[in-house]
Amino acid sequence: MRPPEHVLADLDAVVRRTFPDRDFPDAVSADTRVFADLGLASIDLVVLAERLEQHYGRRLPFGAFLKGLRDRRADDIAIGELVEFLRSNLS
Amino acid sequence: MPDVAVNGIRLFYQQAGDGPDVVLVHAVTSNQAVWAFSGLVDALAADYRVTTYDLRGHGASDRPAAGYTSADMAEDFRQLHAALDLGPAVLVGHSFGGVTALHAAALATEVVAGVILSDSFFPGLRDEEPNFGKMALWSDLRETFGRVGADLGGTVDFGRLFRAAADLPPEKMKELEAIYGAFGKGWLRQLAPLAETTCGEDVMAVAGLTAGVIASVRQPVVALYDEYSPFLATCRWLKANLANCTAEVIPAARHLAMLDNTAGFTEAVRRHLGRLCTGREACATKP
Repeated sequence: MRPPEHVLADLDAVVRRTFPDRDFPDAVSADTRVFADLGLASIDLVVLAERLEQHYGRRLPFGAFLKGLRDRRADDIAIGELVEFLRSNLS
Repeated sequence: MPDVAVNGIRLFYQQAGDGPDVVLVHAVTSNQAVWAFSGLVDALAADYRVTTYDLRGHGASDRPAAGYTSADMAEDFRQLHAALDLGPAVLVGHSFGGVTALHAAALATEVVAGVILSDSFFPGLRDEEPNFGKMALWSDLRETFGRVGADLGGTVDFGRLFRAAADLPPEKMKELEAIYGAFGKGWLRQLAPLAETTCGEDVMAVAGLTAGVIASVRQPVVALYDEYSPFLATCRWLKANLANCTAEVIPAARHLAMLDNTAGFTEAVRRHLGRLCTGREACATKP
């Protein structure tokens, strides 16, 4: 499995590249929340998912990930959860 | 980012799966993320090629100043269908997405193989629908906006909603964002920009989709209406007046069936698609 810090760095770079006009915090950590801290909206996640697939060169099961969030009534997503999702599907 | 230039604008779309074409069309103020979060895309992608896209003015698609009637949106769809080289498609449309889908079925008969409606209100059937404007969702919205001093009025009025959002002072918008939470913030943010367009007024226009035109649709139509829908008179009218209409009530839903009763809605869509496609009543895979 890829080290979490590498995937976090990838994710940070892809987020900033995908939304170049947004005002993101300087440092993004596993605890950073996607909606509350980064200010992303649900449609941004669809766009980001596609960019991550491009970055890694493969389809990733984002549909199941997003539905899982809804099923457990999550009100936000920690970057750490996204990192773990990516790690488990990139191995 | 996959996008397609149609009708003078750029629409953002996604595709998954393989098989006969199914296109999911979201509602006004929504976007295609609703299909991903509800799991419908994944549930259908095992058997169909599923295309979702953001209607003009919504999500990651362009937001032109005008052209938001169901006729405009149906033409957007027709051009998207051609640009993506899809086969005859079954359209699943939620609310105004269903109006767009049925308008496309009427105008572009060769590309729409069937339509599955989810709780759609048709401006052309306003006289048939005694509950027009009396949506519980709108009452909730009105009550919530009222808490920050914005008056949305008694009946559904998207133009007024967009203007109210645009006119809210920043501190009031922050209050509203706190009420709607992290997920709802994104939904709130897209309302104000729509005030710069004709979307609010256009989506309530008949735009040629009269009762007569609706009744002329010959493709199979499935009318999925929610148990607590204000539009059950519309559902009955469709069943009685369309040549080939199957009606079904989705239990425990009140206009957002794909979220209110995800399992029930997904099962119903899969079952009806299977019926339409297995019997080749509607679907065909592009050769």
